[in-house]
Amino acid sequence: MTPALVFDGLLALLAVAAAMAAIGGRDLFGSVAFFIVYGLLIAIAWVRLDAIDVALAEAAIGAGLTGILLISALARVERTASSGESGEGGRLAKIAAALLCAGVAGALAWAALALDPQGAGLTPLISEALPQAGVGNPVTAVLLNFRAYDTLLESIVLLFALVAVWSLADDGNWGGLPGLRQHARSDGVLATFGRLLPPFGLVVAVYLVWAGSENPGGAFQGGTVLAAIWLLVAMAGITELPRVSSLPLRAALVFGPAFFLAVGAIGALAGTFLGLAPAAAKAIILAVEAGLTLSIAATLALLVAGSPQRTQG
Amino acid sequence: MSAVLLGFAAFLLLSVAGGLIRVLRGPDAADRIMAVQLIGTSGVAVLLLLAAAGANPAIVDVALIMALLAAFAAVAFVKSASADGLGDPEEPDP
Repeated sequence: MTPALVFDGLLALLAVAAAMAAIGGRDLFGSVAFFIVYGLLIAIAWVRLDAIDVALAEAAIGAGLTGILLISALARVERTASSGESGEGGRLAKIAAALLCAGVAGALAWAALALDPQGAGLTPLISEALPQAGVGNPVTAVLLNFRAYDTLLESIVLLFALVAVWSLADDGNWGGLPGLRQHARSDGVLATFGRLLPPFGLVVAVYLVWAGSENPGGAFQGGTVLAAIWLLVAMAGITELPRVSSLPLRAALVFGPAFFLAVGAIGALAGTFLGLAPAAAKAIILAVEAGLTLSIAATLALLVAGSPQRTQG
Repeated sequence: MSAVLLGFAAFLLLSVAGGLIRVLRGPDAADRIMAVQLIGTSGVAVLLLLAAAGANPAIVDVALIMALLAAFAAVAFVKSASADGLGDPEEPDP
């Protein structure tokens, strides 16, 4: 048994154990704790599979946003749910959910097993076209050049998700402030942490976007780090997230996809929608990524913050 | 050399397994979140060993993000433990 085999076997075992504990746990807090650990182990697994870009995204989403979202949601549910009606669905609903999840898992397992283990997939095609892509990281080349329309549509889907969350607001709170008011002792540990971390977070986020052109990284990973930092500053009571009717906020949300769409339209005038001339590709990709980073950061932070729930700060 | 480093990484996974037992048993919510933080630290160490074993500096970036954001779950937990779930246990009682 080689050390690599021991490591991978142990990692797979722990990931499955954490997943089972997250699903099978009787109390929700334990499930949330195991889910956070599960995300961490899966990030390591993506590293072992040589998918560093995915590992970065999983680490940022799993460690940064999912933990905040699930723990705050649980605290809110425990405070608001009256006893007797704690969000427990009927037995039938649980069985239906279990069957649906098992079906999806089965379909994914079948798809993974159906892949040819010796096959090279699209790697030869991408390596051949990479010199024309303008960037050296094949993942960025696929996301922002070869299959740019996928990324464009995904960035718009994120906006739809935010509109859906906002539409849950009561009529009276429409256009108001997202979530409930966060507060902290102004010279306490939490507020100090909220002041200490943002400079490091900003540097790391900008670095990830810049590095994404040649190495693993990119707009999504950088935007997720920015969103987490913004939420931290809000949770530390240092700043309030803006009103959902705020014009600068709306502009930040729409800027990335709109700029992406404009670049695509210019490409259409030159012959191909979303086509990039190899000479200008790197500059255009970096500009689109910068815009997307801003919009993804704003969208993810407001998705976690939730629908508008008050009109006064 | 990389086999030795992977061996050490596997050893660190055993400490993750120990942390998982603490997440399972608690007994308090705070013990569980502390165990999650400990596992996060082990995860950063595992990633740094993998970066050295594979001579791939991009893996250090994954460790960097994990280290930067690992404390966020603890921040959310501490807030949820305050009086109204939105404050800070250090605040004086209103």
